Amino acid sequence: MELSFSSKDLEFRDEVRDFLANEYPKHVKEKIENGEPLTREDIVDWHKSLSAKGWMGFNWPVEYGGTGWSPAQIYIFQNELGLAGCPPLIPFGVSMVGPVIYTFGNQEQKDRFLPDILNFDTWWCQGYSEPGSGSDLASLKTKAELINEDGKDYYIINGSKTWTTLAQNADWIFCLVRTDSSGKKQEGISFLLIDMKSPGIEVKPIITIDGDHEVNSVFFTDVKVPAENLIGEEGKGWTYAKFLLAHERFGIAGVGASKRQLERLKEISKDLGDDDLIAKVSQLEIDIMALEFTELRLLSALEGGGNPGAESSILKIKGTEIQQRLTELYVEAAGEFAIPYGGPDGYGSNVKPNGPEYTNDALSKYLNMRKVTIYGGSNEIQKNIISKFVLGV
Amino acid sequence: MNLNFSDEQNLLREQIQKFCNSDYDFYDRENFINTESGFDPEKWKLFAEQGWLAMPFSSESGGFDFGPIELSILFEEFGKFLVLEPYLSNVVLSGYILDNSSFDKKNDFIAKLISGEEQISLAYMEQNRNYEFKDITCLLEGTDSLTLNGTKNLVLNGSNADHYLVTVNHNDVTTIVLVSKDTDGLSINNFKTVDDRRISQLNFENVGINADQIVATGDEAEQLIKDAINYGTLCVSAEAVGCMESCYLKTVEYTKSREQFGQPISNFQVLQHKMVDMFIEAELCKSLLYKSMIDMHENNDSKYRSVSALKSQVGLSGKKVGEDAVQLHGGMGVSEEMSIGHYLKRFIAIDSQFGNSHFHLKKFNNS
Repeated sequence: MELSFSSKDLEFRDEVRDFLANEYPKHVKEKIENGEPLTREDIVDWHKSLSAKGWMGFNWPVEYGGTGWSPAQIYIFQNELGLAGCPPLIPFGVSMVGPVIYTFGNQEQKDRFLPDILNFDTWWCQGYSEPGSGSDLASLKTKAELINEDGKDYYIINGSKTWTTLAQNADWIFCLVRTDSSGKKQEGISFLLIDMKSPGIEVKPIITIDGDHEVNSVFFTDVKVPAENLIGEEGKGWTYAKFLLAHERFGIAGVGASKRQLERLKEISKDLGDDDLIAKVSQLEIDIMALEFTELRLLSALEGGGNPGAESSILKIKGTEIQQRLTELYVEAAGEFAIPYGGPDGYGSNVKPNGPEYTNDALSKYLNMRKVTIYGGSNEIQKNIISKFVLGV
Repeated sequence: MNLNFSDEQNLLREQIQKFCNSDYDFYDRENFINTESGFDPEKWKLFAEQGWLAMPFSSESGGFDFGPIELSILFEEFGKFLVLEPYLSNVVLSGYILDNSSFDKKNDFIAKLISGEEQISLAYMEQNRNYEFKDITCLLEGTDSLTLNGTKNLVLNGSNADHYLVTVNHNDVTTIVLVSKDTDGLSINNFKTVDDRRISQLNFENVGINADQIVATGDEAEQLIKDAINYGTLCVSAEAVGCMESCYLKTVEYTKSREQFGQPISNFQVLQHKMVDMFIEAELCKSLLYKSMIDMHENNDSKYRSVSALKSQVGLSGKKVGEDAVQLHGGMGVSEEMSIGHYLKRFIAIDSQFGNSHFHLKKFNNS
């Protein structure tokens, strides 16, 4: 057993740090440090800087244009990005639909979609949840009907998706659609790629309690999608969706980003001299340490050729609880300065200099982060998974 | 970075598991709780024969050079079965101090510890000292002929010990002396703890001490005490992790067999999620355990801080897991004849030992 990374891994870490010091776009960095919201262009610039370095496919095999990094390297990369306070990577292309395409797609689909994901020339969004299908995702109703027109096959899509993150920015959406409603509900689902410019698609904003426009409703009315956009086999969409979820879970703990937030909070609580807050922050630091080493245990198992399985649901549950706890303590530290809301920088930013700078986005982050225990399979669903697959209940 | 156990370490765990599974029946254990010693001397002999009592000692002292990782494995497995035998007081606490001291007669004492012939307890606690081990009030006075006066409390396994390692104040210098149980002027009061262990109060009244009984003095003595206690803290924390694992496994088993409303109560989601919470607490504590034991193994500066994080967390988590295990066992959970309540009592004892959760949270923050 050994706590430190190998010298090779440490060299790699330094390479990531060099990149973040020199090539992470300065204007994005400044906005993050000031707690200001990012524009679409900012987010694209940030991703393009990774593409230029050849690191966009950080979790992809070399044969599809990825880095081919080891699990330890992927861990270090994500951790360093978090520690440096980088905006979270938009996962829909690189961590979600990308791996589904290179694993289950045909050659034509790989050639067509993968390079744009790696260059961040296509912004993807995810069409999973529906108004009537949240945790019970397999009950989804958005209908895809196969037709033939002038000798070509198309799917005609009718229905709606909801909670679609940043659909207003997206070029393409990957959707779970129902191609068959006769059998078991999981068996009639297919995985379809849809161009957001297709006629019949309407995106309507959903404003969340932080005042932000991050998620949307997406409506499909007789949207015509070429059948060649179907991934794998019709009716196998549920299998691909489950594969995608497993792919998504690693790195979900967000330890690096939480550690950065914690360091700032430690300074703030000490400056305030509030012993009660200091004790709460200390407890949170222990929680983060426990989460970090839980992730490293899973990483070690992976590196040793093992398969971590349902235990990784712990990372989702504790990682998100910690993210929320951090925002709660920032609000506590901000005191009454937490409540001025809706400043000149748009949603949730404080009117400067209304209070200490850490109070600027304390409450908007608190409100925004309520989502993390709900999305990606709610924490209650994660507990069902552990109960069934780990405890065998 | 590698948090996987070696093949040798996995074998050690299997060996201990095999012993506990076949020889550590809970009802059998109950018989020894009420004997004078409070443990099974035959098992202690077996520990010696298996070489377990030699594990952490250096090879020069006749040991196996095993360290914090192997001891954590041992204690985790012991925790699962609520093992009573006094390994902590003899091998971990007294053993660490003797083995790492410059005491010239240490080899004789270590040999008898390893063979199981004799037992030695560490007497470091005093009244109103609240986990701080400074300002010792037991006074060793004189220059040529030395005399010891004072009281030591909560001496683990004190009633079974043949000798005591006693921390004393000698002209404001922390000193450790070795005293035999039948020394003139030493009177011993024995007590039971909530978790069926044995502890003693030692009263020293003009006890004569010879220079050759001095094990360590000054900085050496303070460092030895600090490190022995850190080691002990790691071990009871590992034990708590083992206890937690048993608690959630036993609770899952119980709720699957207990039927109410015409079905196993494990069908109820409210109970499922509670059991998942127990599992998560255990896993997170295990992660902190891994961090601590490797920090100690690598002798990193962060080892005291890691152990404080671990001890603080197992104090909280242990009680939570223990209380939930009792709750989910219903009335059976509060029955003395079931093992589950004994785990809760062990969690409470572990939390209070070597500094409770609150103490270690503060220590963590201040370091």
